[in-house]
Amino acid sequence: MSSVRPKLKPAIPKVVTGWNTQTGRTVYLTAQEDWSEDIADAAVFTGDAADHALTFAEEDQTRVNDPYVTEVDENGQIAGREVLRETIRAKGPTIHPDLGKQAGNA
Amino acid sequence: MYRYDEFDQGFVRDRVAQFRDQVSRRLSGELDEAHFKPLRLQNGVYLQLHAYMLRVAIPYGQLSSVQLRTLADIADKYDKGYGHFTTRQNIQYNWIALKDIPDVLEQLATVEMHAIQTSGNCIRNVTSDQFAGAAADEIEDPRPWCEILRQWSMVHPEFAALPRKFKIAVTAAEHDRAAVRVHDIGLHMKKNAAGEIGFEVIVGGGLGRTPYIGVTIKDWVSQAELLDYLEAIMRVYNLHGRRDNKYKARIKILVNELTPEEFTRQVEAEYAAQRDHEKIALPQDEIDRIAAYFAPPAFETLPETSAAFEEAKAKDEAFAIWAEMNLQPHKVPGYTSVTISLKPLGIAPGDATSDQMRVMADIAKAYSFDDIRVTHIQNLVLAHVKLDDLYNVFLALDDAGLGAANVDHGSDLICCPGLDYCNLANARSIPVAMDIQNMLAPRDKELGKLHINISGCINACGHHHVGHIGILGVDKKGEEFYQITFGGRADEKATIGDIAGPGLKQEDVTPALARVVDRYMALRKSPDDAFIDVLEREGHDPFKEALYAAD
Repeated sequence: MSSVRPKLKPAIPKVVTGWNTQTGRTVYLTAQEDWSEDIADAAVFTGDAADHALTFAEEDQTRVNDPYVTEVDENGQIAGREVLRETIRAKGPTIHPDLGKQAGNA
Repeated sequence: MYRYDEFDQGFVRDRVAQFRDQVSRRLSGELDEAHFKPLRLQNGVYLQLHAYMLRVAIPYGQLSSVQLRTLADIADKYDKGYGHFTTRQNIQYNWIALKDIPDVLEQLATVEMHAIQTSGNCIRNVTSDQFAGAAADEIEDPRPWCEILRQWSMVHPEFAALPRKFKIAVTAAEHDRAAVRVHDIGLHMKKNAAGEIGFEVIVGGGLGRTPYIGVTIKDWVSQAELLDYLEAIMRVYNLHGRRDNKYKARIKILVNELTPEEFTRQVEAEYAAQRDHEKIALPQDEIDRIAAYFAPPAFETLPETSAAFEEAKAKDEAFAIWAEMNLQPHKVPGYTSVTISLKPLGIAPGDATSDQMRVMADIAKAYSFDDIRVTHIQNLVLAHVKLDDLYNVFLALDDAGLGAANVDHGSDLICCPGLDYCNLANARSIPVAMDIQNMLAPRDKELGKLHINISGCINACGHHHVGHIGILGVDKKGEEFYQITFGGRADEKATIGDIAGPGLKQEDVTPALARVVDRYMALRKSPDDAFIDVLEREGHDPFKEALYAAD
């Protein structure tokens, strides 16, 4: 169930993601504490840094909604149990390759 | 159709202004998401995987061409050029930006539409038979009652914060096309011994994680008493429905935890108690006033048959097949109701582009007294079309990619948005639906009537429990699996389907269903021996065996 997200161990690499408050588009927290619609721009966190990043995101209410952490591999590629859901969020609907970020028209 | 009076118009415009202020305060940071979320939900705004989603109410599924054109314009200006028609007879936009929503609502208000009560723990859009006011088999037009219920339930202060969402459906034909037995309250209009038309009251149906078929708690309630009786039901539910656990909060749980008999006793006691001092006792002149909005259009006097229609069928086989599949008998000679299938191959079930919406609006204006309906099967209906005009209607629809001939057949399946869009989904449903459609569409005519319903999670927006074949997407350690049920139905013989066995991998679903329909073909005694009838007669075992009989 996507609304009950698995607890991730501290050592697992993670990115912080959420939704742009104005547009609702999927966004990722960057190393510059900004938000990007491109997961390639996401900062990868482990351990306490991930907790601090999530706390920052939760307080950044004007720019982002409902932030959470999701698993990536050491190269920042989406990984773990939520890989399909997070890939769809990052790219767009699988049945509409003409829509969403995969089509460059998010 | 019903037209807003000055109070309706003023109320909807005030709500737009109020929400504009709330959005502005959210965007400035004055409101955080925790405080804003209940406000946006009261205005039909969800947050899904890719964007905000706006669900617009289409009361009992009825639209004018001006309204449908406005929905098309909104799809172009604020979304990505398409909309999704839902099993609540509403429309959803998948890519709406929050900053634009007040403008969208303002545009909707210009054509007497809104998104109020399309979410939240309130009485939602009242649904009905898509052929209401047209069907040959109805005893009365149920739409005035849907409108009366809409007005009664709209921002009703006592029922604005129920334990959980609440859905009401009304039908007036013996053959139930509105799925009234799987609603929180289903109203089936029928005559009493004296020949007066009233309502059988069915309570506690529903799908989701705990499906139930509703139970009849009153065989017949008069028209004047209807609102009082419904208030008694709502009060018992509002008082005793569980608020501690959202999964046990629907009225179906209360009815079954109390037992239907005890629930009925409490409703009757509440009804008796309120009768003396709080009675609404809907006046006949008010019923008549609302009914006048639904007066039949100016039908011509026509013969039962049409030479032009017969000739067109003889010369165009595609038209003949479409006419066999997509027409519904009309109460007026020389007319029919047309179902426009939104299930052509390669398109997400229920989706229509803005251009298609405009084509349908133009056709409705020219050929159907400006009357369009949305069905809970996620199709559109032209309510009143002359047989003489059918060929022109078909050609115009087909030209817009709307000529699919499959209504009530296997490729006309119900499908929720699933994990391609929905934040709650566990698995995708649209790709599974499209794959099944590719397999079944060439066989629809041969296979006859067959309802396949697909949901991408246990919340059952795709009504999988009541499909003849139901498909539920589940997540197994990050992989999509699909659980198959057999024997569900949503009509007057409503039944919850039984799970056939272990879930299937996505790539195995279509081949397995191909074996199931082959087994049906082997077992049926004639082309009139429908899938559901064979299933009920032969039992599920032969179909389970076929389902799991991989090569």
